[in-house]
Amino acid sequence: MKNLQIWLQRRADDVAVLMLSALFLTFVVQITARYVFNYPLGWTLELCLILWLWTVFWGSSFCLRHDEHVRFDMIYLIVSSGTRRKLAAISALAIIVTMLVAFPRTYDFVSFLQIKKSGTLRIPLAYIFSIYLVFMLSSIAIYGRGLLRLWRGQELSDPGAAGGIV
Amino acid sequence: MSLAFGLCLTTLFLLASIGTPIGYAIISCAVVYLTLVGQDVGLAGEQIIYGLYDSFVLLAVPLFIVAANIMNAGSISERLLNFCVGVFGRFKGGLGHVNIVSSLIFSGMSGSAVADAAGIGKVIIKMMTKDGRYSPGYAAAITAASATIGPIIPPSIPMVIYALVSDTSIGYLFLAGIFPGLLMGLMLMTMNVYLSHKRGFIADKVVPLRELPRLTVNAFPALLMPVILMWGIYGGVTTSTEAAAVAAAYALLLSTLFYRSLTFSKLRDILLESVKSSASVGLVIGGALILNYIVASENIPTLLAHSLESLDISPLMFLLSVNLLLLLLGCILDATTIILVIIPLFLQACRALGIDLVHFGVIAVINCMIGLITPPYGILLFVINGTTGIKLSEIIREIWPFLFALLAALLLLILIPDIVLWLPMQFGYVPAT
Repeated sequence: MKNLQIWLQRRADDVAVLMLSALFLTFVVQITARYVFNYPLGWTLELCLILWLWTVFWGSSFCLRHDEHVRFDMIYLIVSSGTRRKLAAISALAIIVTMLVAFPRTYDFVSFLQIKKSGTLRIPLAYIFSIYLVFMLSSIAIYGRGLLRLWRGQELSDPGAAGGIV
Repeated sequence: MSLAFGLCLTTLFLLASIGTPIGYAIISCAVVYLTLVGQDVGLAGEQIIYGLYDSFVLLAVPLFIVAANIMNAGSISERLLNFCVGVFGRFKGGLGHVNIVSSLIFSGMSGSAVADAAGIGKVIIKMMTKDGRYSPGYAAAITAASATIGPIIPPSIPMVIYALVSDTSIGYLFLAGIFPGLLMGLMLMTMNVYLSHKRGFIADKVVPLRELPRLTVNAFPALLMPVILMWGIYGGVTTSTEAAAVAAAYALLLSTLFYRSLTFSKLRDILLESVKSSASVGLVIGGALILNYIVASENIPTLLAHSLESLDISPLMFLLSVNLLLLLLGCILDATTIILVIIPLFLQACRALGIDLVHFGVIAVINCMIGLITPPYGILLFVINGTTGIKLSEIIREIWPFLFALLAALLLLILIPDIVLWLPMQFGYVPAT
Protein backbone atom coordinates (compact mmCIF):
# COMPACT_ATOMS: atom_id res chain seq x y z
CA MET A 1 0.00 0.00 0.00
CA LYS A 2 2.75 2.41 1.03
CA ASN A 3 4.71 1.52 -2.10
CA LEU A 4 1.72 2.18 -4.32
CA GLN A 5 1.28 5.57 -2.66
CA ILE A 6 4.89 6.48 -3.25
CA TRP A 7 4.65 5.34 -6.86
CA LEU A 8 1.50 7.40 -7.41
CA GLN A 9 3.13 10.42 -5.81
CA ARG A 10 6.14 10.14 -8.14
CA ARG A 11 3.85 9.95 -11.18
CA ALA A 12 1.82 12.95 -9.97
CA ASP A 13 5.08 14.87 -9.56
CA ASP A 14 6.19 13.78 -13.03
CA VAL A 15 3.01 15.17 -14.57
CA ALA A 16 3.55 18.46 -12.75
CA VAL A 17 7.14 18.66 -13.95
CA LEU A 18 6.02 17.93 -17.52
CA MET A 19 3.40 20.68 -17.37
CA LEU A 20 5.87 23.28 -16.17
CA SER A 21 8.46 22.16 -18.74
CA ALA A 22 5.83 22.41 -21.48
CA LEU A 23 4.89 25.90 -20.29
CA PHE A 24 8.51 26.96 -20.46
CA LEU A 25 9.14 25.37 -23.89
CA THR A 26 5.97 26.86 -25.37
CA PHE A 27 7.21 30.29 -24.33
CA VAL A 28 10.55 29.66 -25.96
CA VAL A 29 8.78 28.54 -29.17
CA GLN A 30 6.64 31.68 -29.08
CA ILE A 31 9.60 34.04 -28.73
CA THR A 32 11.66 32.21 -31.35
CA ALA A 33 8.80 32.14 -33.84
CA ARG A 34 8.04 35.81 -33.44
CA TYR A 35 11.50 37.34 -33.26
CA VAL A 36 13.70 34.92 -35.10
CA PHE A 37 11.38 33.73 -37.86
CA ASN A 38 9.12 36.78 -37.77
CA TYR A 39 6.14 34.44 -37.75
CA PRO A 40 3.91 35.09 -34.73
CA LEU A 41 1.95 32.09 -33.50
CA GLY A 42 -1.50 32.45 -32.04
CA TRP A 43 -1.83 29.24 -30.12
CA THR A 44 1.28 29.49 -27.92
CA LEU A 45 -0.10 32.12 -25.56
CA GLU A 46 -3.30 30.21 -25.05
CA LEU A 47 -1.45 26.97 -24.39
CA CYS A 48 0.73 28.76 -21.82
CA LEU A 49 -2.31 30.08 -19.99
CA ILE A 50 -3.90 26.62 -19.95
CA LEU A 51 -0.68 25.07 -18.64
CA TRP A 52 -0.34 27.77 -15.98
CA LEU A 53 -3.87 27.13 -14.72
CA TRP A 54 -3.24 23.40 -14.69
CA THR A 55 0.18 23.71 -13.01
CA VAL A 56 -1.31 25.75 -10.17
CA PHE A 57 -4.23 23.44 -9.49
CA TRP A 58 -2.53 20.15 -10.30
CA GLY A 59 0.33 21.21 -8.04
CA SER A 60 -2.05 22.31 -5.28
CA SER A 61 -4.03 19.08 -5.62
CA PHE A 62 -1.33 16.47 -5.79
CA CYS A 63 2.13 17.88 -5.05
CA LEU A 64 1.86 20.42 -2.25
CA ARG A 65 1.93 19.24 1.34
CA HIS A 66 -0.22 21.05 3.88
CA ASP A 67 2.84 22.70 5.43
CA GLU A 68 4.18 23.78 2.02
CA HIS A 69 1.27 26.15 1.41
CA VAL A 70 1.59 29.86 2.12
CA ARG A 71 0.47 29.89 5.75
CA PHE A 72 0.60 32.07 8.81
CA ASP A 73 1.91 29.55 11.33
CA MET A 74 3.17 31.76 14.16
CA ILE A 75 0.36 30.91 16.54
CA TYR A 76 0.13 27.34 15.26
CA LEU A 77 3.76 26.66 16.11
CA ILE A 78 3.81 28.06 19.65
CA VAL A 79 0.76 26.26 21.06
CA SER A 80 0.91 22.81 22.66
CA SER A 81 0.70 19.80 20.36
CA GLY A 82 -2.81 18.96 21.59
CA THR A 83 -4.08 22.45 20.76
CA ARG A 84 -2.23 22.31 17.46
CA ARG A 85 -4.11 19.17 16.49
CA LYS A 86 -7.41 20.84 17.37
CA LEU A 87 -6.52 23.88 15.26
CA ALA A 88 -5.50 21.63 12.38
CA ALA A 89 -8.84 19.80 12.68
CA ILE A 90 -10.74 23.11 12.49
CA SER A 91 -8.76 24.09 9.37
CA ALA A 92 -9.40 20.74 7.72
CA LEU A 93 -13.09 20.85 8.56
CA ALA A 94 -13.47 24.40 7.25
CA ILE A 95 -11.79 23.43 3.97
CA ILE A 96 -13.97 20.34 3.53
CA VAL A 97 -17.21 22.22 4.26
CA THR A 98 -16.22 25.08 1.93
CA MET A 99 -15.48 22.74 -0.95
CA LEU A 100 -18.63 20.67 -0.40
CA VAL A 101 -20.83 23.77 -0.29
CA ALA A 102 -19.25 25.36 -3.35
CA PHE A 103 -18.88 22.22 -5.46
CA PRO A 104 -22.39 21.84 -6.99
CA ARG A 105 -22.60 25.45 -8.25
CA THR A 106 -18.98 25.41 -9.42
CA TYR A 107 -19.67 22.18 -11.28
CA ASP A 108 -22.66 23.86 -12.99
CA PHE A 109 -20.51 26.81 -13.98
CA VAL A 110 -17.73 24.65 -15.42
CA SER A 111 -19.98 22.15 -17.23
CA PHE A 112 -22.03 24.99 -18.74
CA LEU A 113 -18.85 26.13 -20.50
CA GLN A 114 -18.98 22.96 -22.61
CA ILE A 115 -20.59 25.20 -25.23
CA LYS A 116 -17.82 27.78 -25.21
CA LYS A 117 -14.50 27.04 -26.87
CA SER A 118 -11.12 28.64 -26.30
CA GLY A 119 -10.02 31.30 -28.79
CA THR A 120 -7.46 29.57 -31.01
CA LEU A 121 -7.10 25.96 -29.90
CA ARG A 122 -10.89 25.47 -29.92
CA ILE A 123 -10.85 23.38 -26.73
CA PRO A 124 -14.12 23.55 -24.77
CA LEU A 125 -13.50 25.78 -21.72
CA ALA A 126 -15.22 23.11 -19.60
CA TYR A 127 -12.23 20.81 -20.14
CA ILE A 128 -9.70 23.52 -19.40
CA PHE A 129 -11.47 24.64 -16.24
CA SER A 130 -12.24 21.11 -15.02
CA ILE A 131 -8.89 21.07 -13.19
CA TYR A 132 -10.46 23.38 -10.61
CA LEU A 133 -13.11 20.72 -9.91
CA VAL A 134 -10.31 18.18 -9.51
CA PHE A 135 -8.69 20.55 -7.05
CA MET A 136 -11.91 20.88 -5.05
CA LEU A 137 -12.40 17.10 -4.87
CA SER A 138 -8.79 16.42 -4.00
CA SER A 139 -8.92 19.04 -1.24
CA ILE A 140 -11.91 17.23 0.24
CA ALA A 141 -10.04 13.91 0.00
CA ILE A 142 -6.72 15.21 1.38
CA TYR A 143 -8.24 17.05 4.31
CA GLY A 144 -10.73 14.23 4.94
CA ARG A 145 -7.77 11.93 5.26
CA GLY A 146 -6.05 14.57 7.41
CA LEU A 147 -9.03 14.56 9.79
CA LEU A 148 -8.81 10.79 10.04
CA ARG A 149 -5.11 11.02 10.83
CA LEU A 150 -5.76 13.65 13.51
CA TRP A 151 -8.50 11.45 14.97
CA ARG A 152 -5.96 8.61 15.23
CA GLY A 153 -3.55 10.90 17.05
CA GLN A 154 -1.20 11.54 14.13
CA GLU A 155 -0.21 14.85 12.56
CA LEU A 156 -2.37 16.27 9.74
CA SER A 157 0.22 15.37 7.13
CA ASP A 158 3.51 13.49 7.37
CA PRO A 159 6.14 16.20 7.72
CA GLY A 160 8.74 14.11 5.93
CA ALA A 161 6.44 12.68 3.26
CA ALA A 162 7.22 13.12 -0.39
CA GLY A 163 4.19 15.20 -1.25
CA GLY A 164 0.54 16.08 -0.86
CA ILE A 165 -1.08 12.73 -1.37
CA VAL A 166 1.29 10.58 0.67
CA MET B 1 -19.47 47.83 5.46
CA SER B 2 -22.17 45.16 5.54
CA LEU B 3 -22.62 42.47 8.17
CA ALA B 4 -21.85 39.83 5.53
CA PHE B 5 -18.53 41.49 4.81
CA GLY B 6 -17.75 41.68 8.51
CA LEU B 7 -18.37 37.96 8.90
CA CYS B 8 -16.36 37.27 5.78
CA LEU B 9 -13.34 39.10 7.28
CA THR B 10 -13.84 37.37 10.63
CA THR B 11 -13.77 33.97 8.91
CA LEU B 12 -10.65 34.94 7.00
CA PHE B 13 -8.74 36.16 10.05
CA LEU B 14 -9.82 33.28 12.25
CA LEU B 15 -8.88 30.62 9.72
CA ALA B 16 -5.66 32.30 8.62
CA SER B 17 -4.52 32.87 12.19
CA ILE B 18 -4.84 29.19 13.14
CA GLY B 19 -2.65 28.12 10.25
CA THR B 20 -5.12 27.29 7.48
CA PRO B 21 -3.35 27.80 4.13
CA ILE B 22 -4.09 31.41 3.13
CA GLY B 23 -5.49 30.41 -0.28
CA TYR B 24 -8.03 28.06 1.31
CA ALA B 25 -8.86 30.58 4.05
CA ILE B 26 -9.76 33.16 1.39
CA ILE B 27 -11.90 30.70 -0.58
CA SER B 28 -13.75 29.82 2.65
CA CYS B 29 -14.40 33.45 3.55
CA ALA B 30 -15.59 34.12 0.01
CA VAL B 31 -18.08 31.26 0.21
CA VAL B 32 -19.32 32.62 3.56
CA TYR B 33 -19.79 36.07 2.01
CA LEU B 34 -21.49 34.86 -1.17
CA THR B 35 -23.90 32.68 0.83
CA LEU B 36 -24.82 35.52 3.20
CA VAL B 37 -25.51 38.08 0.47
CA GLY B 38 -27.43 35.47 -1.51
CA GLN B 39 -25.10 35.39 -4.49
CA ASP B 40 -24.06 32.29 -6.41
CA VAL B 41 -21.31 30.43 -4.48
CA GLY B 42 -19.96 29.22 -7.82
CA LEU B 43 -18.76 32.79 -8.31
CA ALA B 44 -15.77 32.08 -6.07
CA GLY B 45 -14.45 29.41 -8.41
CA GLU B 46 -15.34 31.49 -11.45
CA GLN B 47 -13.32 34.46 -10.20
CA ILE B 48 -10.29 32.34 -9.36
CA ILE B 49 -10.32 30.45 -12.65
CA TYR B 50 -10.81 33.48 -14.89
CA GLY B 51 -8.42 35.55 -12.79
CA LEU B 52 -5.58 33.09 -13.33
CA TYR B 53 -6.54 32.11 -16.87
CA ASP B 54 -6.92 35.66 -18.22
CA SER B 55 -3.77 37.08 -16.82
CA PHE B 56 -0.85 37.05 -19.20
CA VAL B 57 1.47 38.94 -16.82
CA LEU B 58 1.17 36.22 -14.19
CA LEU B 59 2.91 33.76 -16.50
CA ALA B 60 6.14 35.51 -15.52
CA VAL B 61 5.80 34.19 -11.97
CA PRO B 62 6.50 30.46 -12.59
CA LEU B 63 9.21 31.30 -15.12
CA PHE B 64 11.12 33.65 -12.82
CA ILE B 65 10.87 30.98 -10.12
CA VAL B 66 12.36 28.38 -12.49
CA ALA B 67 15.13 30.78 -13.55
CA ALA B 68 16.15 31.56 -9.97
CA ASN B 69 16.13 27.90 -8.96
CA ILE B 70 18.28 26.92 -11.94
CA MET B 71 20.82 29.66 -11.20
CA ASN B 72 21.15 28.47 -7.63
CA ALA B 73 21.45 24.79 -8.50
CA GLY B 74 23.90 25.28 -11.35
CA SER B 75 27.13 26.94 -10.32
CA ILE B 76 26.08 30.36 -11.65
CA SER B 77 25.65 31.93 -8.21
CA GLU B 78 28.99 30.61 -7.02
CA ARG B 79 30.91 31.98 -9.99
CA LEU B 80 29.36 35.38 -9.49
CA LEU B 81 30.38 35.29 -5.88
CA ASN B 82 34.00 34.42 -6.64
CA PHE B 83 34.13 37.35 -9.03
CA CYS B 84 32.75 39.70 -6.38
CA VAL B 85 35.26 38.46 -3.80
CA GLY B 86 38.06 39.23 -6.27
CA VAL B 87 36.88 42.77 -6.88
CA PHE B 88 35.35 43.92 -3.58
CA GLY B 89 37.04 41.65 -1.06
CA ARG B 90 40.01 44.05 -0.78
CA PHE B 91 38.24 46.72 1.28
CA LYS B 92 37.62 46.86 5.00
CA GLY B 93 34.59 44.79 5.86
CA GLY B 94 35.31 43.24 2.48
CA LEU B 95 33.15 40.15 2.57
CA GLY B 96 30.28 42.27 3.84
CA HIS B 97 30.58 44.38 0.70
CA VAL B 98 30.93 41.27 -1.42
CA ASN B 99 27.71 40.06 0.11
CA ILE B 100 25.85 43.25 -0.80
CA VAL B 101 27.31 43.64 -4.30
CA SER B 102 26.67 40.01 -5.20
CA SER B 103 23.08 40.49 -4.05
CA LEU B 104 22.84 43.57 -6.27
CA ILE B 105 24.08 41.64 -9.30
CA PHE B 106 22.03 38.57 -8.50
CA SER B 107 18.96 40.75 -8.10
CA GLY B 108 19.41 41.77 -11.71
CA MET B 109 18.96 38.14 -12.63
CA SER B 110 16.39 36.82 -10.23
CA GLY B 111 13.16 38.26 -8.95
CA SER B 112 12.99 36.60 -5.61
CA ALA B 113 14.53 37.54 -2.27
CA VAL B 114 14.21 34.03 -0.91
CA ALA B 115 16.12 32.60 -3.88
CA ASP B 116 18.88 35.12 -3.24
CA ALA B 117 19.18 34.28 0.46
CA ALA B 118 18.96 30.53 -0.07
CA GLY B 119 21.41 30.41 -2.98
CA ILE B 120 24.16 32.97 -2.96
CA GLY B 121 23.50 33.82 0.68
CA LYS B 122 24.25 30.37 1.96
CA VAL B 123 27.62 30.25 0.22
CA ILE B 124 28.79 33.65 1.37
CA ILE B 125 27.76 33.09 4.96
CA LYS B 126 30.03 30.05 4.94
CA MET B 127 32.90 32.19 3.59
CA MET B 128 32.34 34.95 6.12
CA THR B 129 32.22 32.71 9.15
CA LYS B 130 34.96 30.29 8.09
CA ASP B 131 37.90 31.69 10.09
CA GLY B 132 35.74 33.34 12.70
CA ARG B 133 36.28 36.71 11.04
CA TYR B 134 32.63 37.62 11.25
CA SER B 135 30.16 36.36 13.79
CA PRO B 136 27.52 34.02 12.33
CA GLY B 137 24.82 36.47 13.40
CA TYR B 138 26.48 39.36 11.54
CA ALA B 139 26.99 37.30 8.39
CA ALA B 140 23.40 36.08 8.45
CA ALA B 141 21.97 39.52 9.16
CA ILE B 142 23.81 41.28 6.33
CA THR B 143 22.81 38.46 3.96
CA ALA B 144 19.16 38.73 4.91
CA ALA B 145 19.23 42.50 4.58
CA SER B 146 20.90 42.49 1.18
CA ALA B 147 18.57 39.78 -0.12
CA THR B 148 15.68 42.25 0.21
CA ILE B 149 17.12 44.09 -2.80
CA GLY B 150 16.45 41.06 -5.03
CA PRO B 151 12.90 41.94 -6.02
CA ILE B 152 13.55 45.70 -6.19
CA ILE B 153 16.05 45.64 -9.03
CA PRO B 154 14.35 44.00 -12.03
CA PRO B 155 13.27 41.34 -12.70
CA SER B 156 10.87 41.07 -9.81
CA ILE B 157 8.08 38.68 -8.90
CA PRO B 158 6.43 41.02 -6.34
CA MET B 159 6.37 43.85 -8.91
CA VAL B 160 4.63 41.54 -11.39
CA ILE B 161 1.99 40.83 -8.75
CA TYR B 162 1.67 44.55 -7.94
CA ALA B 163 1.28 45.31 -11.66
CA LEU B 164 -1.58 42.81 -11.73
CA VAL B 165 -3.55 44.42 -8.89
CA SER B 166 -2.80 48.04 -9.79
CA ASP B 167 -2.95 47.85 -13.57
CA THR B 168 0.37 49.67 -13.96
CA SER B 169 3.00 48.85 -16.58
CA ILE B 170 5.51 46.19 -15.55
CA GLY B 171 8.12 47.76 -17.82
CA TYR B 172 7.96 51.10 -15.99
CA LEU B 173 7.78 49.42 -12.58
CA PHE B 174 10.93 47.46 -13.38
CA LEU B 175 12.77 50.62 -14.46
CA ALA B 176 11.54 52.45 -11.38
CA GLY B 177 13.12 49.83 -9.11
CA ILE B 178 16.71 50.22 -10.37
CA PHE B 179 17.83 53.36 -8.51
CA PRO B 180 15.96 52.51 -5.29
CA GLY B 181 17.67 49.10 -5.32
CA LEU B 182 21.07 50.71 -5.75
CA LEU B 183 20.26 53.19 -2.98
CA MET B 184 19.37 50.34 -0.64
CA GLY B 185 22.70 48.69 -1.48
CA LEU B 186 24.57 51.91 -0.81
CA MET B 187 22.88 52.35 2.55
CA LEU B 188 23.74 48.80 3.58
CA MET B 189 27.38 49.25 2.49
CA THR B 190 27.64 52.45 4.50
CA MET B 191 26.34 50.63 7.54
CA ASN B 192 28.80 47.78 6.88
CA VAL B 193 31.76 50.21 6.72
CA TYR B 194 30.64 51.88 9.93
CA LEU B 195 30.24 48.60 11.79
CA SER B 196 33.52 47.18 10.44
CA HIS B 197 35.45 50.15 11.81
CA LYS B 198 33.55 50.25 15.06
CA ARG B 199 34.10 46.59 15.76
CA GLY B 200 37.54 46.40 14.18
CA PHE B 201 36.90 43.54 11.77
CA ILE B 202 40.17 42.30 10.29
CA ALA B 203 40.62 42.97 6.57
CA ASP B 204 39.98 39.90 4.45
CA LYS B 205 42.59 38.06 2.45
CA VAL B 206 43.06 39.92 -0.81
CA VAL B 207 42.76 38.03 -4.07
CA PRO B 208 45.84 38.93 -6.20
CA LEU B 209 45.04 41.21 -9.12
CA ARG B 210 46.40 38.72 -11.66
CA GLU B 211 43.60 36.35 -10.65
CA LEU B 212 40.99 38.89 -11.67
CA PRO B 213 40.89 38.22 -15.43
CA ARG B 214 40.29 34.51 -14.84
CA LEU B 215 37.51 35.18 -12.32
CA THR B 216 35.93 37.68 -14.70
CA VAL B 217 35.98 35.28 -17.64
CA ASN B 218 34.45 32.61 -15.43
CA ALA B 219 31.63 34.86 -14.32
CA PHE B 220 31.20 36.76 -17.58
CA PRO B 221 28.37 34.71 -19.11
CA ALA B 222 26.46 35.02 -15.84
CA LEU B 223 27.15 38.76 -15.69
CA LEU B 224 25.59 39.06 -19.13
CA MET B 225 22.22 37.90 -17.85
CA PRO B 226 20.96 41.26 -16.51
CA VAL B 227 22.14 42.92 -19.73
CA ILE B 228 20.25 40.42 -21.88
CA LEU B 229 17.10 40.83 -19.78
CA MET B 230 17.16 44.62 -19.93
CA TRP B 231 17.97 44.63 -23.63
CA GLY B 232 15.12 42.19 -24.23
CA ILE B 233 12.53 44.23 -22.35
CA TYR B 234 13.54 47.75 -23.29
CA GLY B 235 14.90 46.98 -26.72
CA GLY B 236 11.41 45.80 -27.60
CA VAL B 237 12.52 42.24 -28.32
CA THR B 238 10.51 40.56 -25.59
CA THR B 239 7.67 41.54 -23.29
CA SER B 240 8.45 41.56 -19.57
CA THR B 241 6.75 38.19 -19.29
CA GLU B 242 8.72 36.69 -22.13
CA ALA B 243 11.90 38.03 -20.55
CA ALA B 244 11.22 35.62 -17.70
CA ALA B 245 11.31 32.73 -20.16
CA VAL B 246 14.51 34.08 -21.70
CA ALA B 247 16.09 34.30 -18.24
CA ALA B 248 15.15 30.70 -17.49
CA ALA B 249 16.37 29.50 -20.90
CA TYR B 250 19.66 31.36 -20.57
CA ALA B 251 20.24 30.02 -17.06
CA LEU B 252 19.49 26.52 -18.29
CA LEU B 253 21.88 26.84 -21.25
CA LEU B 254 24.66 28.18 -19.03
CA SER B 255 24.26 25.48 -16.39
CA THR B 256 24.01 22.55 -18.77
CA LEU B 257 26.15 23.36 -21.79
CA PHE B 258 28.58 25.99 -20.57
CA TYR B 259 29.26 25.24 -16.91
CA ARG B 260 28.10 21.59 -17.09
CA SER B 261 26.88 21.62 -13.53
CA LEU B 262 23.34 20.38 -13.92
CA THR B 263 22.24 16.77 -14.25
CA PHE B 264 18.89 15.57 -15.53
CA SER B 265 17.62 14.36 -12.17
CA LYS B 266 18.70 17.59 -10.52
CA LEU B 267 16.74 19.46 -13.19
CA ARG B 268 13.65 17.42 -12.38
CA ASP B 269 14.00 18.32 -8.70
CA ILE B 270 14.36 21.98 -9.58
CA LEU B 271 11.25 21.89 -11.74
CA LEU B 272 9.24 20.09 -9.06
CA GLU B 273 10.38 22.64 -6.49
CA SER B 274 9.31 25.38 -8.90
CA VAL B 275 5.90 23.75 -9.43
CA LYS B 276 5.37 23.75 -5.69
CA SER B 277 6.33 27.41 -5.31
CA SER B 278 4.20 28.39 -8.31
CA ALA B 279 1.22 26.42 -7.06
CA SER B 280 1.36 27.82 -3.54
CA VAL B 281 1.75 31.40 -4.79
CA GLY B 282 -0.82 30.82 -7.55
CA LEU B 283 -3.43 29.64 -5.05
CA VAL B 284 -2.98 32.77 -2.95
CA ILE B 285 -3.13 34.96 -6.05
CA GLY B 286 -6.34 33.22 -7.15
CA GLY B 287 -7.81 33.63 -3.67
CA ALA B 288 -6.84 37.29 -3.56
CA LEU B 289 -8.69 37.86 -6.83
CA ILE B 290 -12.00 36.79 -5.29
CA LEU B 291 -11.28 38.78 -2.16
CA ASN B 292 -10.58 41.86 -4.28
CA TYR B 293 -13.85 41.25 -6.11
CA ILE B 294 -15.70 41.21 -2.78
CA VAL B 295 -13.85 44.24 -1.47
CA ALA B 296 -14.70 46.09 -4.69
CA SER B 297 -18.39 45.10 -4.60
CA GLU B 298 -18.51 46.39 -1.02
CA ASN B 299 -17.02 49.63 -2.34
CA ILE B 300 -14.32 49.59 0.33
CA PRO B 301 -11.53 51.34 -1.63
CA THR B 302 -13.87 54.24 -2.54
CA LEU B 303 -15.12 54.54 1.04
CA LEU B 304 -11.53 54.57 2.23
CA ALA B 305 -10.60 57.20 -0.35
CA HIS B 306 -13.57 59.38 0.68
CA SER B 307 -12.88 59.16 4.37
CA LEU B 308 -9.25 60.07 3.74
CA GLU B 309 -10.38 63.04 1.65
CA SER B 310 -12.69 64.22 4.41
CA LEU B 311 -9.79 63.95 6.84
CA ASP B 312 -7.99 66.32 4.52
CA ILE B 313 -4.78 64.37 4.82
CA SER B 314 -1.75 65.44 2.76
CA PRO B 315 -0.28 62.97 0.26
CA LEU B 316 2.94 62.81 2.27
CA MET B 317 1.11 62.08 5.54
CA PHE B 318 -0.89 59.44 3.70
CA LEU B 319 2.23 57.77 2.32
CA LEU B 320 3.94 57.84 5.70
CA SER B 321 0.96 56.36 7.51
CA VAL B 322 0.36 53.67 4.88
CA ASN B 323 4.03 52.74 5.08
CA LEU B 324 3.93 52.55 8.83
CA LEU B 325 0.91 50.28 8.59
CA LEU B 326 2.60 48.08 5.98
CA LEU B 327 5.72 47.81 8.14
CA LEU B 328 3.66 46.69 11.10
CA LEU B 329 1.76 44.20 8.94
CA GLY B 330 5.07 43.05 7.47
CA CYS B 331 6.14 41.94 10.94
CA ILE B 332 3.41 39.32 10.95
CA LEU B 333 2.22 38.77 7.37
CA ASP B 334 3.69 37.30 4.22
CA ALA B 335 4.67 39.77 1.46
CA THR B 336 2.51 38.16 -1.25
CA THR B 337 -0.54 38.42 0.98
CA ILE B 338 0.12 42.09 1.74
CA ILE B 339 0.61 43.02 -1.92
CA LEU B 340 -2.47 41.12 -3.05
CA VAL B 341 -4.89 41.86 -0.25
CA ILE B 342 -3.88 45.02 1.61
CA ILE B 343 -2.31 47.23 -1.03
CA PRO B 344 -5.31 47.24 -3.44
CA LEU B 345 -7.32 48.91 -0.66
CA PHE B 346 -5.19 52.04 -0.94
CA LEU B 347 -4.90 52.39 -4.71
CA GLN B 348 -8.07 54.44 -5.11
CA ALA B 349 -6.96 56.77 -2.33
CA CYS B 350 -3.60 57.18 -4.06
CA ARG B 351 -5.33 58.21 -7.26
CA ALA B 352 -7.54 60.68 -5.38
CA LEU B 353 -4.53 62.21 -3.63
CA GLY B 354 -2.50 62.43 -6.84
CA ILE B 355 0.13 59.91 -5.73
CA ASP B 356 1.76 58.19 -8.67
CA LEU B 357 1.02 54.46 -8.71
CA VAL B 358 4.49 53.47 -9.93
CA HIS B 359 6.06 55.48 -7.10
CA PHE B 360 3.61 53.98 -4.64
CA GLY B 361 4.20 50.48 -6.00
CA VAL B 362 7.97 50.62 -5.67
CA ILE B 363 7.74 51.99 -2.14
CA ALA B 364 5.12 49.44 -1.16
CA VAL B 365 7.16 46.55 -2.57
CA ILE B 366 10.33 47.77 -0.79
CA ASN B 367 8.29 48.03 2.37
CA CYS B 368 7.07 44.46 1.97
CA MET B 369 10.64 43.29 1.34
CA ILE B 370 11.78 45.00 4.54
CA GLY B 371 8.92 43.05 6.11
CA LEU B 372 10.78 39.89 5.11
CA ILE B 373 13.47 40.64 7.70
CA THR B 374 11.39 42.17 10.49
CA PRO B 375 10.97 39.84 13.44
CA PRO B 376 9.05 37.92 14.59
CA TYR B 377 7.73 36.79 11.19
CA GLY B 378 10.49 37.32 8.63
CA ILE B 379 10.72 34.71 5.89
CA LEU B 380 14.34 35.56 5.08
CA LEU B 381 15.37 35.07 8.70
CA PHE B 382 13.71 31.65 8.64
CA VAL B 383 15.28 30.69 5.31
CA ILE B 384 18.78 31.54 6.52
CA ASN B 385 18.14 29.85 9.82
CA GLY B 386 16.95 26.79 7.90
CA THR B 387 19.81 26.62 5.39
CA THR B 388 22.72 27.50 7.71
CA GLY B 389 21.54 26.52 11.18
CA ILE B 390 22.50 29.92 12.62
CA LYS B 391 20.20 30.62 15.57
CA LEU B 392 17.27 32.98 14.95
CA SER B 393 18.04 34.93 18.12
CA GLU B 394 21.59 35.58 16.90
CA ILE B 395 20.39 36.79 13.51
CA ILE B 396 17.74 39.00 15.05
CA ARG B 397 20.24 40.58 17.44
CA GLU B 398 22.37 41.70 14.50
CA ILE B 399 19.61 42.67 12.09
CA TRP B 400 18.68 46.03 13.69
CA PRO B 401 21.39 48.30 12.20
CA PHE B 402 20.72 46.93 8.72
CA LEU B 403 16.99 47.30 9.21
CA PHE B 404 17.65 50.90 10.18
CA ALA B 405 19.72 51.45 7.01
CA LEU B 406 16.95 50.05 4.81
CA LEU B 407 14.32 52.16 6.58
CA ALA B 408 16.43 55.25 5.97
CA ALA B 409 16.48 54.35 2.26
CA LEU B 410 12.72 53.86 2.29
CA LEU B 411 12.17 57.24 3.92
CA LEU B 412 14.36 58.95 1.31
CA LEU B 413 12.35 57.30 -1.46
CA ILE B 414 9.08 58.47 0.06
CA LEU B 415 10.35 62.04 0.44
CA ILE B 416 12.05 62.25 -2.97
CA PRO B 417 9.84 60.52 -5.59
CA ASP B 418 12.28 61.53 -8.32
CA ILE B 419 14.74 58.80 -7.28
CA VAL B 420 12.05 56.33 -8.25
CA LEU B 421 10.47 58.13 -11.19
CA TRP B 422 13.42 59.74 -12.95
CA LEU B 423 14.48 56.66 -14.89
CA PRO B 424 10.99 55.64 -16.11
CA MET B 425 10.44 59.26 -17.15
CA GLN B 426 13.51 59.06 -19.39
CA PHE B 427 11.71 56.21 -21.13
CA GLY B 428 8.55 58.20 -21.65
CA TYR B 429 6.61 57.58 -18.45
CA VAL B 430 4.29 60.40 -17.42
CA PRO B 431 3.72 60.34 -13.65
CA ALA B 432 0.41 61.28 -12.08
CA THR B 433 0.27 64.64 -10.34
